[in-house]
Amino acid sequence: MSVSGQKKAGAPDREPPIRRVVVVGGGTAGWLAACLIASRIDTECADPVTVTLIESPDVPTIGVGEGTWPTMRGTMEKIGLAEADFLAACSASFKQGTRFDGWANGEANDRYFHPFTAPYGADRDAVTRWASAPGTASFAASASAQPAICERNLAPRQRQMPDYAGALNYAYHLDAGKFAQLLARHGVERLGIRHIGDHVTAVERGGGRVINAVITRDTGRIEGDLFLDCTGAAAVLISGEFEVPLVDVGGILFNDRALAIQVPQGEDAPLASQTNATAHQAGWIWDIGLPARRGVGCVYSSRHIEEGQAREILDAYLAGTGGSGSANAQDARLLSFCSGYRERFWEGNCLAIGQSAGFLEPLEASAIVMVELGVEALLEDFPRDRAALAPRARRFNALMRYRWERIVEFLKLHYILSRRTEAYWRDHRDPETIPARLTELVELWRDRPPLAADFSAIDEVFPSASWQYVLYGMGFAPPPAPPMRHTSPGAVRALAAQRDQRERSLLASLPSNRAYFEALGTPPERQKVTAH
Amino acid sequence: MSSHAILTAEDHRDLRVRSEAAADLGDAVMGCLTFPDEFRRVQAEFPILFRLNPERDSFSALAMFGLEDGENLFLAEEGWTATYRPLALSIQPFLVGRNASGDGPGQVHIDMASPRIAKSDADGVRIFDEDGQPTPYLEQVASMLGELDEGYRASAAFFDALNRHQLLQPMAFEVPVEGGATNRLVGYHAIDEDRLRALDGAALGELHGAGHLMPIFMALASLGHLATLARRKVQRMDRG
Repeated sequence: MSVSGQKKAGAPDREPPIRRVVVVGGGTAGWLAACLIASRIDTECADPVTVTLIESPDVPTIGVGEGTWPTMRGTMEKIGLAEADFLAACSASFKQGTRFDGWANGEANDRYFHPFTAPYGADRDAVTRWASAPGTASFAASASAQPAICERNLAPRQRQMPDYAGALNYAYHLDAGKFAQLLARHGVERLGIRHIGDHVTAVERGGGRVINAVITRDTGRIEGDLFLDCTGAAAVLISGEFEVPLVDVGGILFNDRALAIQVPQGEDAPLASQTNATAHQAGWIWDIGLPARRGVGCVYSSRHIEEGQAREILDAYLAGTGGSGSANAQDARLLSFCSGYRERFWEGNCLAIGQSAGFLEPLEASAIVMVELGVEALLEDFPRDRAALAPRARRFNALMRYRWERIVEFLKLHYILSRRTEAYWRDHRDPETIPARLTELVELWRDRPPLAADFSAIDEVFPSASWQYVLYGMGFAPPPAPPMRHTSPGAVRALAAQRDQRERSLLASLPSNRAYFEALGTPPERQKVTAH
Repeated sequence: MSSHAILTAEDHRDLRVRSEAAADLGDAVMGCLTFPDEFRRVQAEFPILFRLNPERDSFSALAMFGLEDGENLFLAEEGWTATYRPLALSIQPFLVGRNASGDGPGQVHIDMASPRIAKSDADGVRIFDEDGQPTPYLEQVASMLGELDEGYRASAAFFDALNRHQLLQPMAFEVPVEGGATNRLVGYHAIDEDRLRALDGAALGELHGAGHLMPIFMALASLGHLATLARRKVQRMDRG
């Protein structure tokens, strides 16, 4: 962080400073990026950075999924929103993880959790403890209290807790349209973002791979030092202008269509604590509960089934989950997408953030977290002037590529351990479609659990705990007892006792989601909860 | 105003209790009862003073949180700011009940008129789980109630000994406040240090043998925290 914007006497003349950030595109990605940057600007310095957001009135925004990652709590806190205001404005609910139904073999009792709270105890302990007491609980239920909390539709926090603190790790489900509106309002009114409602018609290039300005239809020329391409799939700058190609991962992740629909939900219906992801013959169905409605979507591979079949699958799901009276699968909106990410995300003075950078099926809600992580990486090492761009671009591209690759592998993990027999699922297990690094890791995990050392980058999107939850949730055999002792058996037993006591305390102290959100209108008591 | 009921899983299965510290939950008090076995924990943070009951025939011990009625200098907007929260506060709204004869094992009672009875399912902690088993919170409360009950019963012998050796003396404590006025704490007793020093070996041996000597010294040492109260009082006034 710069302490002062003033040059030291005798410092050599620098290249033009990076002062004007121009975000092209509104929507979740654009507004989130703009707010994160604006909230971090040192306004005391001599020549503070400014943020301008150009939002086309012509382009409807696409709500990229409605699930966030737990990072969103820190993001909202940094931006300066009170949690209750955020929850109410976005019709949000708590997300404590994902429940996967029918993924391992498709039988009636085929179900596992991927909770956000890491296993109790270090890397190996939870696996050791679970493996040494066979036939009792699932791995997730043995490792964490969160599945039991989710099964009872309980909230992850008490109302009296400070904002964004939880008894368990949590994220949000939210109405993406309302979320973008909230960010826009907050960004303009509180964070000083300049908002221009106009359509970009042309790009004015400077020397090299540098954008000097974008030309808009009504406002004219808008200059900038750093441009963020948040134009979604259109990728106006990174693709339209710089022609950075997409790395297509459709050969690894086959899904390319989604049928999305909203299902009204009664005020007395239980409000789920997790996203439900239910596998079907050629894809899966998301089911996200908000206080007043559920968002449901059938994701599928158009190579394996027709749209009509997908509508039938969605229809059957709605009927089975009490939604057929209020929503009709024929009304579901069809979305097409291809899974992939840019070869480079930062080119010259332009960064692709959001869907312009890449898109993957929303299986683990990675879209919004990649916006947060991308912007954080930019802010962590914000370029001072144009000379500072190139080295940062190289580092940023390597970092983001690493993250996209890890996400692709993590999503693929959900498919390759399945024993389902349909063509789609068999195709997913074809070794030709599995990234080499993933094959190697799974081989490694026959002997030992996924460890933190397997995912050693800073800010890994999915830590080893997530890999453990999916791996063992899918029925992968736990490793045999290791030749080396890592934690004493007594310590492992003590951890198990602590975990059980913690689960009992949480079950007693957490309110139901419904009760929490019904009380949201009444001011929460601000007193701190004492430990007991 | 209170409405005491025997706690049962049948009657209170879904009851939620607010266990946090807050003024509107009854924690805006200048002190609470304590007993010799708790002195070690109390003296680390609060002064321990003694008061005659209205009939002037027996003493009780108090952990002090403030200098005037309704003032709790350890209670802030964010909750309890001390490390230790004395048992007499922690067990609210539960109490020990006994049958009419007053003997036999104590039962856990609950004051259903307490503001701690949660009015919304969004607040508080359950005391029974879905199977009707006590939750960890209730287990802890029951254990605290047991300790409190035993502690009060055992304190009679302690006060007898203090009386016998005339170890309590009336005290006053003054804190200068705004505009030259003083805030005066009166009507309390404290350990008489001079008389304690003057006790002979036989008397000390007797007190020690009965386990009273340690709590006497704890209570004496706790008087240093009168300055803690004064400091917190001044800080609170400075913040407006």
